[in-house]
Amino acid sequence: MGDRVENGLAIEARGLFKAFDGKPAVRGIDLKVPEGSIYGILGPNGAGKTTTLRMLLGIIDPDAGSSVLLGRERPLDAAGIVGYLPEERGLYPAMHCRDAIAFMGALRGLPLEVGRKRAEQLLSENGLGDYVAKPIKSLSKGMAQTVQLFGTIVHRPKLIVLDEPFSGLDAMNQGRLEHLIRDEAAQGVTIIFSTHVIAHAERLCERIAIIAGGRVRFEGEVAEARDRLRPQVRLGTRAESGPWRAALPTGAELRGGVWHFELPAEGIEPLLKALIDGGAGIEELSIERPGLHDAFVAIAGEEAARELEESAAADQEIAR
Amino acid sequence: MNDVLRAAFVIARRDFVATVWARTYILFLLAPLVVFGFSVAVGMSAGSKDREASRPVVAVVADSATVQALQGARARLVAGTSESAFPILSIVAPAENVEAQAQRLLADDEARLSAVLSGTIAAPVLTGPRAVESGGLGDRIGLIVGEARRSIALADAGLDAEGAAPRRVFTQAAAGDLRTTRMALGKGAQFLIFFITMLLATLLLSNMVEEKSNKVIEVLAAAVPLDAVFLGKLVAMLGASLVGLAAWAGMLGLGYVFVQTLQDWMAVPQVVPAIGWPAFILLLFVYYATNYMILGALFLGIGGQASNIREIQSLSMPVTFLQLFVLFLAMNAGGGDPDTLAWIAFILPFSSPLAMIAFAAESPALWPHLLALAWQGLWVLLIIRASASLFRKTVLKSGPRPGFMAGLKARKG
Repeated sequence: MGDRVENGLAIEARGLFKAFDGKPAVRGIDLKVPEGSIYGILGPNGAGKTTTLRMLLGIIDPDAGSSVLLGRERPLDAAGIVGYLPEERGLYPAMHCRDAIAFMGALRGLPLEVGRKRAEQLLSENGLGDYVAKPIKSLSKGMAQTVQLFGTIVHRPKLIVLDEPFSGLDAMNQGRLEHLIRDEAAQGVTIIFSTHVIAHAERLCERIAIIAGGRVRFEGEVAEARDRLRPQVRLGTRAESGPWRAALPTGAELRGGVWHFELPAEGIEPLLKALIDGGAGIEELSIERPGLHDAFVAIAGEEAARELEESAAADQEIAR
Repeated sequence: MNDVLRAAFVIARRDFVATVWARTYILFLLAPLVVFGFSVAVGMSAGSKDREASRPVVAVVADSATVQALQGARARLVAGTSESAFPILSIVAPAENVEAQAQRLLADDEARLSAVLSGTIAAPVLTGPRAVESGGLGDRIGLIVGEARRSIALADAGLDAEGAAPRRVFTQAAAGDLRTTRMALGKGAQFLIFFITMLLATLLLSNMVEEKSNKVIEVLAAAVPLDAVFLGKLVAMLGASLVGLAAWAGMLGLGYVFVQTLQDWMAVPQVVPAIGWPAFILLLFVYYATNYMILGALFLGIGGQASNIREIQSLSMPVTFLQLFVLFLAMNAGGGDPDTLAWIAFILPFSSPLAMIAFAAESPALWPHLLALAWQGLWVLLIIRASASLFRKTVLKSGPRPGFMAGLKARKG
């Protein structure tokens, strides 16, 4: 079997279900990850993201459902062209950086000598050349995480799976990681990552899956998720009342002297005309496209959104 | 299968290098030798003191001819057996009232006597508490007196009591002796394999806990089959233990040569195992390897279920008992035609390597070893598969995992 897949999907999962001690963690998840895309799985802690990724990679078996990874039904058959960075980062503390990276490559079939050379190259190119022969235990947490990331890509995989890759990283290392993800994607590598930070998904992903309570609440393009909500209008007027008020749609709210409401289905022009004719005295008018956060709230609910924010806050705390 | 072996090799290589290149490995190599040497030295000293202190002393209250006859008899008996087999004779000049003298001597703390022998060779009297009879003191004094009597009788008949040793005709071996020494060799080999495996059992138990605490296990499980992880770890630890064995054997060999050059202190026993030395030594290594792999796969599997070192410590005791049970079972395998227990020892995979090494010492047949090795190899694979499967089901899952005992309770419920 070649490295290209026939249906253009790097990952296809159908009805993945997993329960631990009788308690469902993942309740029938369907995913379609196009080849060559950057795909985000967005959800709060405990939503089932890690369990889903582990099932996709064959680390644990689903109780029901099936998945295909790069055209293979047995995920380990594709191990040589897959890279995986688990949520719980793990390296042997006494191993040198170069050897740790080469070892991770060797696990996936890369000859050790080739792995060592590539490890030196990766470390040098990313300003860590001085650490080639340093043991992992001498590195900072962020550096160790970077070394593990290099171990994930050293064998030049076709699919990179990253579980909470930004977790515990400071802003500089997060930027470095985003850069690396874009670089890999530019070379045609499929990247799937889980996160509870909306900004990362919004900035990087072409497609996302929003997971909450072990279920996929949305799967599709980021723009599609945003389009679930009508654009928001902000309107500031000189007049406090007048006939123009009748033109405001139902549900319009006045907050801080500015009206907020969804753009009416018939568009902005009829509204604008009615406001002018009604003597509103328009001081400010803007139409804002909803962000992914708004879309998340609308799709997954307030509680899931709160959990997501708490997860992200906890993460920032760890990074500090 | 090739993928499993390739991955197992990658893991084995890393684990082997990490183990052997660690400073703690030097300690691991030296500690048993130091402890062994120290134990032997202390044990020999303590044993000698114990033997000396526990040997009974019997006062001989008799005329000089009787004393001389008894001392001569004892000397001849000791020459044929050992010094420690007979009580020490302490000579005391007889007083007027020998009976009262015996009572006084027995009551004297300083004299440290167990009994008093008085009277003559023809009519000896042994005075002492009834309790000393349970140690066979009366019988041994009886032997000395009997020997003295025979010696006097032979002298009276004009025969030399000292010249009774048979003329010696030497042969290569005696079947009875050969069987006994081969049995001893088999038992020694069993004990050696058992002892070394026991030394390494805790290492195996804690191996997966270390892997989990490093959090590397998920990286491994995502990249290679878990069977390969278990197999690789087993092979690495086997390799590290073989390096240790070679080092220990080398050091002991050097020590032996050194001692022999100073003094001809220790003779190598002239015993040849039934299968021959080269095959026996090869089988010793091979059965050590299979024994280690079978028990190791089990311990790795059990240890994989533990969450921390405290749980490993709790598991160590039952594991040691399991090993002892296996040893005792396997010890039934030597010494002639196998009975039911011996057959169980041959067939049960955990005792099979120990039983078969005893068999190698006593029987020249080679084919049973091929069969046994295939059988043991099959069990290594089965246990690895079962351990990996259990590990996959119970350990690799999201969120915090309950400890070993909590996990057991949950499964029962």
